Amino acid sequence: MRDESSPLALRRWTGVYSDRSNVMRPILVLLTALGLTLAAGCKKSETTSVDGGAAGPGSTGRKLTIALMPKSKGNAYFVSCKQGADAAAKDLGVELIFDGPVNPDPAKQNEIVENWITLGVDVIAVACENKDGISTALRKARHAGIKVVTYDSDAAPDARDFFVNQATPEGIGTALMDEAARLCANEGEFAIITASLTAQNMIEWQKFIEARRAMKFSKMKMVALRPCDDLKDKAQAEATTLLSAYPNLKLIMAICSPAVPGAAEAVKQAGKSGKVKVIGLGLPNENRRYVKEGTTDTVILWKTTDLGYLTVLAAQALATGELKAGATSFNGGKLGEFKIAGDNILLGEPFKFTKDNIDQFDF
Amino acid sequence: MFGRKDTPATGALSLRRHETVLWVVLVLEVLFFQFAGRNFGTADNGANIVRHTVEIGLLALVMTPIILTGGIDLSVGSTLGLCAVLFGKLWRDAGLPLWLAGVLTLGNGALCGAFNATLITRLRLPPLIVTLGTFSLFRGLAESITHGVDAFTHFPESFLFLGLGRVAGLPTQAWILLGASVGIWLLVHRTTFGRCFRAIGFSPEGARYAGLPVERRLALAYVLAGVMAAVAALTYTARLGTAKADAGMGYELYAITAVVLGGTSIFGGVGSVSGTMLGVAAIAVLSNGLSRVPATMSNAAELSGLLTGGLLILALTASALSRGWGRRRLRGGRSEERVER
Repeated sequence: MRDESSPLALRRWTGVYSDRSNVMRPILVLLTALGLTLAAGCKKSETTSVDGGAAGPGSTGRKLTIALMPKSKGNAYFVSCKQGADAAAKDLGVELIFDGPVNPDPAKQNEIVENWITLGVDVIAVACENKDGISTALRKARHAGIKVVTYDSDAAPDARDFFVNQATPEGIGTALMDEAARLCANEGEFAIITASLTAQNMIEWQKFIEARRAMKFSKMKMVALRPCDDLKDKAQAEATTLLSAYPNLKLIMAICSPAVPGAAEAVKQAGKSGKVKVIGLGLPNENRRYVKEGTTDTVILWKTTDLGYLTVLAAQALATGELKAGATSFNGGKLGEFKIAGDNILLGEPFKFTKDNIDQFDF
Repeated sequence: MFGRKDTPATGALSLRRHETVLWVVLVLEVLFFQFAGRNFGTADNGANIVRHTVEIGLLALVMTPIILTGGIDLSVGSTLGLCAVLFGKLWRDAGLPLWLAGVLTLGNGALCGAFNATLITRLRLPPLIVTLGTFSLFRGLAESITHGVDAFTHFPESFLFLGLGRVAGLPTQAWILLGASVGIWLLVHRTTFGRCFRAIGFSPEGARYAGLPVERRLALAYVLAGVMAAVAALTYTARLGTAKADAGMGYELYAITAVVLGGTSIFGGVGSVSGTMLGVAAIAVLSNGLSRVPATMSNAAELSGLLTGGLLILALTASALSRGWGRRRLRGGRSEERVER
């Protein structure tokens, strides 16, 4: 060690260190950084359509720009939405920007939307992670003359023009219950594995599952409802417990996506493949193995590629003025005609992935 | 001793070099995005950059004195989350007027900081461990207050102005950031407090022998961090229009990245507030600019993480190389600092 620890040396070097130069350095730093970004020029902003909005793109011949945001970027579900969106962008000849959060920072979606506003896109389409937060930014976008569409999960109604609704809770609940009844020949015990007992969307689905059961399948009996915290391992453990606790169980219905392969694995390990049926809401890729070997019978979801395709289509129609508030149907090009309920564009009935068709899908 | 520490003379010198490197980086970034990006150099986008960075900027500012003392505060992001939730709770559920809820929130931030400070100075626990604990503790508190799902929203326009409005042409937050940076700069570079922070960073025992009030100065740094996290919680809530338990998640790491990029030694003793602000600006411009270049528009989020890491390594390498060069020159005995010793 040098003489640093002696008080005298300390005073000396702290003296040396105090910087007398550049009195207002941090202010300079800030102002220059700001100045650089501002002063460098507003000449480019002429091409922006921020204040010209819907009028601009078609007439000037500039390509329409649609910005599409997923809840999170690495999610296979949204990657497959993007495949559909890309296809639509190609068919329509529009420019598609796809960006979204890569980490759990809830402010990120807002930041991206705000950047898109100043970038001068024509339409913004968002799958909202944080409804209240994102609505603030989306209102700002609408205020700037940008059309706003939500898909997959909605924002506040006044923050967007249309919501592309992939499935109503009623549609999901009914499809699940009908499929369960079909596999059980309309009678017997079944159990549900859910993500958590408080998740709003799952509660909603259960309500419609129960309503459908009470109405049409009174010989079907729900014996248990277990949460798995959205974890595959926990779902597997719960399913194993269910199998031993209810020997007459005929079917397990998993209504959160990790629970479907979890339940299938439990049934398979118990040697009950085929005897106890497994169905649920999930992605084809996660369940392909179990579906093909016959442990899982049906995976229910919507065609995510269609969701992406329809979203871009609706976004474009909104920008060109073809789609207006109050419309009751929407021409989805090669996908056919879609119903509009209020300001919800409905994707339609859920889709059933089974042994016969699952290989046509990769997501 | 684990880290190689600079002597104050070489430290100050290498800092100045490091800041020059950062200036070059910043100017290059701005020029590049001005040419390659769409609508980058507009006033609105300038406002965007400031708005999106202000919380991390504030946290990085108060992280600077802490790292100068050789400490670290991993709990600032969680403190932000807790303060945001508490602010919402006080306003909506306790029915307090906004200004009072705001003041109490600042008080809560100070309490969080004081809690860290007490454990660090009284029990002499390492800051890394203490704040790692409160990192989970504060976030956990925020989550249990709201059960993880409750979100506070529908704040009045007068409050949202803080996050969305403009004062004299600049975003409201720009003034807050400006005020905070001048304040912290004065504290660190113009008062004996600042010297004391550096002295502690060089050698806590040395500082103690020199008769410096090490404990009180450390406490000041951590309490200040808590208060600033509360300020950031208010601007964050006003910007998003909502307060939820996940507010500010991961911000502590962004703040530390900016501080280290700004040339402050993680071992303490050497660093500057202007460097930190340069670090913040370099990261902010990069991540904003990437979302405006046609080629990177659709992978801006991934790239900005990747390039921030690259930038950090590049800037530190560049300044380490120039420091090595500077050392050699120092050894030659031509420098006045050398003569002084």
